[in-house]
Amino acid sequence: MSADLTRRFDNSTAAQQRFLSLFLRSEREIFRYVAALVPNVPDAEDIVQQTALALWEKFDAYDPSQPFTPWACRFALNKARQWIERRQRWQALLEHGLAEELAQRRQELQPELELRLRNLEACLGKLPQGQRSLVEGYYYERAGVEKLAERSGRTTAATYKMLQRIRHALQLCVESHAQPESA
Amino acid sequence: MTLSFPSTQFDDAVAAVCHGSASEGEMRALNELLRSHGSARDEYLLRVEVHTRLASKPDLFPQSAQAAAAAVLPDLSLASRRSIVFSKPQMPAGKRALVRALALAACLALTAAGLWGFWLRRSVARNGATSSAVAVLTRSVDARWGQKTEPPRVGSALEPGWLRLKSGLAQVVFYSGARVVLEGPTELQLVSTMEAVCPAGRLLAEVPEPARGFRVKTAQLNLADLGTAFGIDANSGRTEVHVFKGKVLLSAGTAVKEALGEGRAAIMQGSAPPRLMGASTEAFASMFEFQKRSLAVETIRYDQWRLANAQLNEDPSLVVHLDFETLSYSDWKLPNAAEKNRSVPDATIVGCQRAEGRWREKQALEFQSVNDRVRLAVPGDFQALTLSAWVCVKGLDRQFNSLFMCDGFEPGTIHWLIRNDGVLGLTVIGPGTGKFQILASPPVLTVGQLGRWLHLALVLDGKTRQAVQYVNGFPVSHQTLKLGPPFCLGSAELGNWNARSGPNPAPTLIRNLSASLDEFELFSRALSEAEVHKLYTEGKPEPDL
Repeated sequence: MSADLTRRFDNSTAAQQRFLSLFLRSEREIFRYVAALVPNVPDAEDIVQQTALALWEKFDAYDPSQPFTPWACRFALNKARQWIERRQRWQALLEHGLAEELAQRRQELQPELELRLRNLEACLGKLPQGQRSLVEGYYYERAGVEKLAERSGRTTAATYKMLQRIRHALQLCVESHAQPESA
Repeated sequence: MTLSFPSTQFDDAVAAVCHGSASEGEMRALNELLRSHGSARDEYLLRVEVHTRLASKPDLFPQSAQAAAAAVLPDLSLASRRSIVFSKPQMPAGKRALVRALALAACLALTAAGLWGFWLRRSVARNGATSSAVAVLTRSVDARWGQKTEPPRVGSALEPGWLRLKSGLAQVVFYSGARVVLEGPTELQLVSTMEAVCPAGRLLAEVPEPARGFRVKTAQLNLADLGTAFGIDANSGRTEVHVFKGKVLLSAGTAVKEALGEGRAAIMQGSAPPRLMGASTEAFASMFEFQKRSLAVETIRYDQWRLANAQLNEDPSLVVHLDFETLSYSDWKLPNAAEKNRSVPDATIVGCQRAEGRWREKQALEFQSVNDRVRLAVPGDFQALTLSAWVCVKGLDRQFNSLFMCDGFEPGTIHWLIRNDGVLGLTVIGPGTGKFQILASPPVLTVGQLGRWLHLALVLDGKTRQAVQYVNGFPVSHQTLKLGPPFCLGSAELGNWNARSGPNPAPTLIRNLSASLDEFELFSRALSEAEVHKLYTEGKPEPDL
């Protein structure tokens, strides 16, 4: 075993714990960063998993004096690019530099997004019970749309449409809350 | 296909992208629109953000999380108790995927370093039972190892087998308590917690009372210790034994045993009778010096810890503090050192062996048999809790190895344990009957951590509904608590579990720990990450290396 390898062996447990700690704290932010490019949840999660592997492999190169999330997001962008390259549909959406443009614009809009969406939970609470349970089923339980359709007696298409309407309602709700006091 | 903005087509296309159902044509049209139209792009980003926040913030659904836990989880009748296994941590799908990713990440990285196979082989060979280790490498100075396999590292558990120290100094502590300093070049075969073979090399052994009878073999003789300190200088043709304290029994072949007393030395060569002379400390000077230095470092750390404790004990939120400072063979009480909560009763020791703690002078309790346990009673209701323990795990023999477990399955209680796959497990039992939540960390304890002192902590914050587990001051899992406070612990045990079951409990109900414990704290509030890290740094056995 080389000296380098021995050192890695000695340090691996502590490093793993440091990594886990940093990654867990940034995980949601990395997910949202990726999902701005590939909004479909299972696909975005897939990319985040691949990002986690890449980050851990390159963790030696991480400079602890720098914030972790931006460092991680650079890897996430690369992983997303590689993922998109192999999928024609997503390539159609993100080609001609749109991926980079979206990532950058999202960074710029970050403070505004935070402001607008801070009332999301309160707005969720105002949804009628049926809509609320659909949102929970889809986003929290991660039940498939087919299953949710069956549960509510709607068609699959109607269930998709209903989710779209609910998101629209939530967006209107958070925006009405985000108005300045004087308006 | 082209899209305009704003339009219903745009709305539908964005929704379809979120659901993953958009066609290639829709995606292409959206690409063109978003690249040319700034407000469409911003609107798109906002809509996607609403969607991804819903998907990534399980805490947006606190009420349903609680209701779901009750609805989905089985009723906790007696018959279903055995079904409490940790195979499916109850957390949102996204979180599960992440934990998988992390476990995978850790595996892959180790594969890259060529080490995972090594760990895996070791653990598979032992079928999860990791107690075949007999000693631990505690310290080394300029050590160069001539191992054919991976060299041992400080703190690692050592299984029976050869240690080949080419040069430098190293200290090995056998689980029996015998301490052996080696000076390279030395070859030492670890046979059991009570036996070693040294065909060539020099060693200095110190054998405390519990390890009396510790044996060392060389090519010429067998040495049985009678509670002593002795040195051996051996090669294939000749062995010198120097007794510095107490006495040893020597035997060669079938010859009669011969006692060698304090201050005496014997040289055995060929078949000649042993030549006797005075013991010489000079020949072992470097090893004595090494021992002295390690002892000094330990004493300093021990004092620092005691100093920190004096302050900690004044914290009004410290409900229980067992510092294991006043253990004696005659006394079964483990006093609670929390100054502001003197009314909380002392703990009671049942069984357990007295053992050495993080430092040589620090006392600890070793849990080994199925009966060993420390019982305690924690009165009151809590909105938040922090548990902290210093533990030296010898092996994960059981499916569930208890750290701190409240008796039975009473409402408002918790079970904190280590699974045999290295996962830190927590079960929170809800205020009503039939509700409980299982929270499992990623597999964080590895074979390499057995036999070394670890700081484990658990923070339950009823207000923010967060459960965080820590290993050595670093968080290893953050999870959402679906069942809220109050936590009412009542009667509980360290290192074991009172399942309140029949006389022949099912295997999953036997949850005794195989480890030493030398400190336990319970706070009535959620300590911050910085505070937990401080508990670790103030208590860690060695200063920063």
